[in-house]
Amino acid sequence: MLGLFDNDYDADGFRTCSVTGLNIHRSAENMVKLYGLTSVVALLVGGIFAFFVAMTRWEAIGLVSPNDFYKFTSIHAWNLLIFWMIFMEIAILYVGGPFVLGRKLALENVAKVAYGVMVAGALLVNYAIWTTEQPNQAPLLTSYVPLPSSADFYLGVVVFLVGALVAALPFLATIWKEKREKPDATLPLIAFGAFICSIVAAEAIVGGLITFVPTYFWRIGVIEHLDPAWYRQMYWIVGHGTQQINLLAMITVWYFMTHVVGGAVVASEKVSRTAFILYLFFINMGAAHHLMSDPGVSSAWRVWNTSYAAYGAVIASMIHAFAIPAGLEVGRRARNEGGGTFGWLWSAPWKDPGFSSTILSIIMFGFLGGITGVMMGQMQLNMTWHNTLATPGHFHATVVLGTTLAFMGLLYYVIRLLFGKDWVAKPLATIQPYLYGGAMGLVCLMMMYLGVLYGVPRRHPSVMDIPGTAFDFSAAKPLFAIFGVSAILAIVGGGLFLALALGALFLGDDYEGEAAPTGAGPIVAADGGGGTGETPAETDSAGDDAEAAETAEDDDDGGLAAHAFSMRGTFLLTLVFFVTFVVMYALNWYLLSQLWTIGG
Amino acid sequence: MRSPLDAPEGDWWSEEVNRRETIWLGITGGWAAVLFGWMAGWTQIGDQNPTGPTERISPERYQEKVTAYKEEAEDAEDGLIPPGEDVFIGAMRYNWDGLPAVLEAGKTYKFHIGSYDVQHGFSIRKGDTLSKQMSLQVLPEYEWVVEMEFDEPGTYHVVCNEFCGVGHRTMHGAFTVRE
Ligand code: HEM
Ligand SMILES: [Cu+2]
Ligand SMILES: [Cu+2]
Repeated sequence: MLGLFDNDYDADGFRTCSVTGLNIHRSAENMVKLYGLTSVVALLVGGIFAFFVAMTRWEAIGLVSPNDFYKFTSIHAWNLLIFWMIFMEIAILYVGGPFVLGRKLALENVAKVAYGVMVAGALLVNYAIWTTEQPNQAPLLTSYVPLPSSADFYLGVVVFLVGALVAALPFLATIWKEKREKPDATLPLIAFGAFICSIVAAEAIVGGLITFVPTYFWRIGVIEHLDPAWYRQMYWIVGHGTQQINLLAMITVWYFMTHVVGGAVVASEKVSRTAFILYLFFINMGAAHHLMSDPGVSSAWRVWNTSYAAYGAVIASMIHAFAIPAGLEVGRRARNEGGGTFGWLWSAPWKDPGFSSTILSIIMFGFLGGITGVMMGQMQLNMTWHNTLATPGHFHATVVLGTTLAFMGLLYYVIRLLFGKDWVAKPLATIQPYLYGGAMGLVCLMMMYLGVLYGVPRRHPSVMDIPGTAFDFSAAKPLFAIFGVSAILAIVGGGLFLALALGALFLGDDYEGEAAPTGAGPIVAADGGGGTGETPAETDSAGDDAEAAETAEDDDDGGLAAHAFSMRGTFLLTLVFFVTFVVMYALNWYLLSQLWTIGG
Repeated sequence: MRSPLDAPEGDWWSEEVNRRETIWLGITGGWAAVLFGWMAGWTQIGDQNPTGPTERISPERYQEKVTAYKEEAEDAEDGLIPPGEDVFIGAMRYNWDGLPAVLEAGKTYKFHIGSYDVQHGFSIRKGDTLSKQMSLQVLPEYEWVVEMEFDEPGTYHVVCNEFCGVGHRTMHGAFTVRE
């Protein structure tokens, strides 16, 4: 197809990537391209609808009718949150497994069949939403029972989920083969992250099938009754579960991209892997935070599940929030890329959109998405966030600023390294992540303010004029104006990404990879020779990392111990994060405490 | 010094962890304990908790209860004055049955919230201070009793903030709190 699938492979079907050094097999590469391209199509569709949705909520424009608004928002949500993300995540699994391990993709034909099933499901969902007629209602993301959506919608969801489950099998089979051949070897960190991601994904999808299969039968009349509280609890296994897939895939991409583009190393295998394991055990309970303001579950259940999630998953995320920048700091210090406290950051390839997307994603996910997620996850604070515009504000910070930006960064490199095309219009490519991330950051902030400070509800096409009452939210007009303008800029930024991606694919020059595309040189800090096993001194006072590195030796054959390098830059950054966290937490509780008395 | 793309060799589990990373782990653990402790503690000492007894009830039966309550309540100009401490609210597309109501400041009421049809969102805000707002989910088949006591007189507006159908945006109600 237009020369997109024609790299040169050796007789066994392998080629070596000149930049990452990975041994890539044709079977895996073709599937990564196929799933990746498809995800970009979903991004385009969802992005077009983002424009209509945002321009309707900005009532100065008021683009579409109330009826269409719900339909358009549903299409926006399903194409972006589900199809863009999950097609991409399957591609990421195939990178994290076969690429990283230097293997063929096992069961390649299964991957093809799964692809077909997923596409069929996605098309059916879109068709069903588009043709929604009374008494059916647009499903939005949640299709809460007993509000009926079209039967085809539930069927499409089931088909898509089955496809996604099957698509994970070739990945798992690849890991299994690797393990059978090398039973004693540890998986590389990226492959390990992808593996945990696949397990969490399988749990989410199975939960989704347990929810949507009965719901389909309910809709076509085979099952008479579904308990709405049961539906909510089950639905959120997949509804939140897919967010866990997004999170794990995003973090895996963070490790990958900071390494490939920024020269990061692993700060501590033990710590990073433990954090992944924590997700495996605890993150599912995160789904409970969707039921914080629900009548159907007891308060003890709610407190237990959120605290459990706070202990497990929040800790895990905070660990990665340190480990990833620390890996970058150490990797760059060891390569002599800047001394001092932040020299390693200043010297980083900020003009490289793959790098800047990744770093922006890490920062904005943490500050805007992560912190607010914890706020909403506190049972009492949830009352001030629940179903207000602040809720989409929070999750756009996670899935757009976090995941979408990270995936865009990855795609910049997929274009170079898999499709072998260089970027076009490089100055535009340089600004794209900043434009998209910056504008979207404002969009998220405005939605949060509108929700928490003005109580503006989500899923409303008009709040400036509520039929049948003089009451309205016109006090919030100025914030809506900032929201609207930022949304336009964000959509321009997203459109620019698509234009640059397609431009590179079809018009780009062939990319001649260099081993260090963006200035992360080889590790130059010298190997100190015969390991004595002593712990090298911390290096802050010396401040001279090259010197420190000479004394930093390790028992293993790696020669250099990551832990011996200074992580003071990262430490300061995470402290800033922590202080912000505490301040936001206090402010939210203060706001809540101003309310009337609620609950016995 | 390892790449995340390579399998770690040797005994990587026993490798030392950087001192600052260890400190961060401590901060993280401590913070998680605070998050849990504060939330659990607020259920005991705090004044705002989304808690109260829930009962299963058929939508028809709940509607009967609300109707009986309305008959008993006094019909004042600004709305229903509840006969006792119970305030019944029935969510229905696209209306709040039982509203408008007139309540007394400083008195504790038991709000009964439930739905006759689909899920709704019971979202209250003080008319002149929009930042004073909170929301609770309303499910059909469940009657939730949540106590509320209002100290500040004024008009409180109720909007539906769970999508309940094409008329969702019009679903509005209000109650007045008097001295
Ligand atoms: C330029 C980019 C985007 C803009 C301006 C935008 C804007 C919006 C707005 C205004 C809403 C409606 C809020 C409401 O009334 O409840 C919305 C809903 C939503 N958006 Fe986006 N969005 C963007 C990108 C994305 C992306 C990339 C994703 C997913 C990866 C996403 C996922 C969702 C979801 C899941 C909903 C909720 C639908 C529901 O209530 O069920 N959006 N978006
Ligand atoms: Cu409603
Ligand atoms: Cu509604």
